[in-house]
Amino acid sequence: MFESASFVLFAVTLPFASLLLALRSGLQRAYCYSLPVLPLPALMIALLSDPGWLLSLPGLLHGGLWGMDDLRRAFLLLTAMLWLAAGVFALGYMKGYLKADNLRRFCVFWALTLAGNLGLTIAEDIASFYGFFALMTFAAYGLVVHEGTGEANRAGRVYLVMAVGGEMAILAGLLMAAQLAGSDLLADLPATIAGAEQRGLIMLLLLAGFGVKAGLPLLHFWLPLAHPVAPTPASAVLSGAMIKAGLLGWLVTLPFGEVSLPGWGDLLVIVGAVGSLGGAVLGLRQQQPKTVLAYSSISQMGFITMMVGAALASADVAVTLFAVMALFALHHGLAKGSLFLATAMTLPRSRIGQWLMWLLVALPGLSLAGLPFTSGAVAKLAMKEVLKPDHFAFAAAPYLPALMSAGAVATMLLVWRFLWLQRAVGKIGRNPVAMWVGWGLSLAGSLILFWYLPWHGAVPEKTWPTAITGEAWSLIWPILMATLMAAVAPRSVRQR
Amino acid sequence: MSLASLLPVFALMTSLLAAVIIFTLPERSFRLRTLVNLGAAVIKLVLVGVMIWGIVQGRAYEVAFTMVPGVRFVLRADALSMLFAGLSALLWLLTTIYAVGYLEGSPNRSRFFGFFSLSVASTMGIALAGNLFTFFLFYEMLTLSTYPLVVHRGTPKALRAGRSYIIYTLCGGAVLLLAIAWLHGLVGDLSFRPGGYFAEVEDALRGPLSLIFVLLVAGLGVKAALVPLHGWLPQAMVAPAPVSALLHAVAVVKAGAFGIVRVVLEIYGLDAASDLGLLAGLAGVAAFTIIYGSARALYQVDLKRLLAFSTVSQVSYIILGLCLFGPVGVAGGLVHLVHQGIMKITLFFCAGNYAETLGVHRIDELDGAGERMPATSVAFTLGAFGMIGVPPLAGFTTKWIMGTGALAVGMDWVVVVLVVSSLLNAAYFLPILHRIWFGERQAAWPQERRWGRLETSAWLLWPALITAVLLILAGLLANLPVSPLSWVELIVAREVAL
Repeated sequence: MFESASFVLFAVTLPFASLLLALRSGLQRAYCYSLPVLPLPALMIALLSDPGWLLSLPGLLHGGLWGMDDLRRAFLLLTAMLWLAAGVFALGYMKGYLKADNLRRFCVFWALTLAGNLGLTIAEDIASFYGFFALMTFAAYGLVVHEGTGEANRAGRVYLVMAVGGEMAILAGLLMAAQLAGSDLLADLPATIAGAEQRGLIMLLLLAGFGVKAGLPLLHFWLPLAHPVAPTPASAVLSGAMIKAGLLGWLVTLPFGEVSLPGWGDLLVIVGAVGSLGGAVLGLRQQQPKTVLAYSSISQMGFITMMVGAALASADVAVTLFAVMALFALHHGLAKGSLFLATAMTLPRSRIGQWLMWLLVALPGLSLAGLPFTSGAVAKLAMKEVLKPDHFAFAAAPYLPALMSAGAVATMLLVWRFLWLQRAVGKIGRNPVAMWVGWGLSLAGSLILFWYLPWHGAVPEKTWPTAITGEAWSLIWPILMATLMAAVAPRSVRQR
Repeated sequence: MSLASLLPVFALMTSLLAAVIIFTLPERSFRLRTLVNLGAAVIKLVLVGVMIWGIVQGRAYEVAFTMVPGVRFVLRADALSMLFAGLSALLWLLTTIYAVGYLEGSPNRSRFFGFFSLSVASTMGIALAGNLFTFFLFYEMLTLSTYPLVVHRGTPKALRAGRSYIIYTLCGGAVLLLAIAWLHGLVGDLSFRPGGYFAEVEDALRGPLSLIFVLLVAGLGVKAALVPLHGWLPQAMVAPAPVSALLHAVAVVKAGAFGIVRVVLEIYGLDAASDLGLLAGLAGVAAFTIIYGSARALYQVDLKRLLAFSTVSQVSYIILGLCLFGPVGVAGGLVHLVHQGIMKITLFFCAGNYAETLGVHRIDELDGAGERMPATSVAFTLGAFGMIGVPPLAGFTTKWIMGTGALAVGMDWVVVVLVVSSLLNAAYFLPILHRIWFGERQAAWPQERRWGRLETSAWLLWPALITAVLLILAGLLANLPVSPLSWVELIVAREVAL
């Protein structure tokens, strides 16, 4: 039922239909309350329909084709869950923190960004994928500059300039690939690009174009500016879900599994390492909790970039790596979304309540660092399993384990930095119910629901609790080491 | 001669008759004038619809007679003429509605609408002309009937703009006449026909034919605003908004571009034109115009002037498409004839709405316009994103098809032109959109008028909203058989893929 044409169309058009509520100012409240509903049908599709369905829309653009495979399912799950949690959170946030006269505009841009973000995860033809991607890009501008401060406008300008540049690179790359393929479907691009005479140029355009969204080093400048200035629920989806759209763009266009490209592998591993470690170093120097989180996103995307590099370098590992990347994206998106939402929560009055609260705020962070029995531990172990140097033959491969360990330490350091800064600005007070529910949803998604989500697809099968217990030490030592560093080096880490 | 074959004549006569009636109506009879105006526009739209239906069925409509020996007057409805005729008939109806609202209460309305109808008639004639001579007749008639519209306000600035307009276009017309006469002397009377006449060119004719081509393009390029012949267009911005909408989206610039299409496809033929090395040159001029127009638009402070330079840039997409040596490129160019029309008319309607409702003419006065006039601003936003070429809007379809067409024939540099032009479009449109939606209103509007519940007069609002919807549908449903793209593919199948 959930993969039927009418339900899919309903899920995609619902956010657009919600724009009708913007027609009258009297419907303002109704519009606010509709925000959490918008991603619900998409979430049902992700949870309840079997991957593999296709929906052909011959009249749309140059021939539309939507569908869901295992990869897209993970992305759709993440996107819909996070938008749902953030939508609920936004209900409370709008009441407490946003000016009433701009709410309608906020809802409109929210719905449009959501529509683009959901649509692109199920689009399998080039034109609708690019269309949804562009919609998300431009509508997100409205979320970034919503507060209207000088800072927000500056961040918005940087975002827009880089995003438009990225769009153009994507356009040029897609045009070249589509023309060679003689096809309007994404599925035909990887093989075509693999055999193309101008393979290097096309890949560069697509890597850079989608890399702007994914926060690739040197293309990341907008990210630590724009993610934090947006209203908090928008920051959560920007950093949790939308950043993954860039990754999905890579995964569905680049020639994975078609041809082994060790050169590109080396390059991307280096770029990813720079991103994951450099992002952490820069993040440690920040003063705002949300900015630290934004740098943490860059750092985490660096990990994924390394995996992308490994997948490009060795065609036969690509399929397994896809599953791991999807898993990693899901894990990071949920955890990061929860961390961002936590920045707007105030603390309860009682001492025990505060301790409990801090624990809940910190848990998704510890999950990022790979604490045993969190989603992060699964992601880390799955990644480690696949990224064994003997699976690969490219030059940078032997350094992967060391880079991953260093990255884990860096991740934990960033989490400490975030918690420290958050403690400094943490206020005592009451939170609107909707914010509790929204944050709670994202927490539950990251810590509990994660285990029941259908990400198992092609990830190497194992009994995770046993595996985690067996590898517990390798997971815990980076956390301990970072904690030690944070404790003994307060001058450099805490007080700058 | 059956009644059906006279359809082109009827389509032409509806506006001519309307013009004659309106000229004789007294100034105050608002209702009758509006009735005649709208009635004629609707009838014309129906007639064009009937002809389009007939052409799909494979029928042809032609009326021809000899004026002087050797020179024939030919009116013919074929797939290509219907592209232009359909566009003008549709947008004319909307522009007429808009103009009624816009000019309400201002003086000399009979004169205005009389010439307005005459320009429609001329545009119809240009679309339906079956040979160069007939084309030229209506082309000049268009010049003469649009001049009074440009100077309608009668201010010194308007008169100056009108003078510049008339000098440019009459000179262009003279060059065009010279070229047509020379061609006539060389090879006789040429009706437009798919594939053209010069598939095999004798060596002796190569030189003269190339030169004639340059003259033809120069003559037509004035109206099509090819750089450096574009000088009149930004000045003509002083005209009332509906006139600007008409000059830019449908009539004048498109008449020039459409003429170039006819010459390249149906007089010379694509192969001959590229054989003579003419298309490469034309492609260069078009590419330069695209970039130049966009670059100039960046520096404008007046909204309508900015849109004018944007037109200079966008119309050359049509011509660049023609120069891509292949069916795909030609399709991209031709479909932009329609797409640019819909997008630009939307933008001009909106600019007019801002001016009429708020007194806003300059870009820096637009802060906060989105809150005061949300519907107009949504339409403007859609038009702007269409121009940038963001999917699923009409502009994207054009860009995508032209891009693949260019790559298919190895003209990779065209993609660079498309990308640079899109970047420039983004650079001048996005700051405007920021002002409209996120700018904070500091002062009162320069000259605000109230229209009760609606943000502006319904006459002004609806045309803009309808064209905004059309520009979404043209791109979103490009693959449906009723889309402009499908019609263009039909044309290309008949014209190019021989």
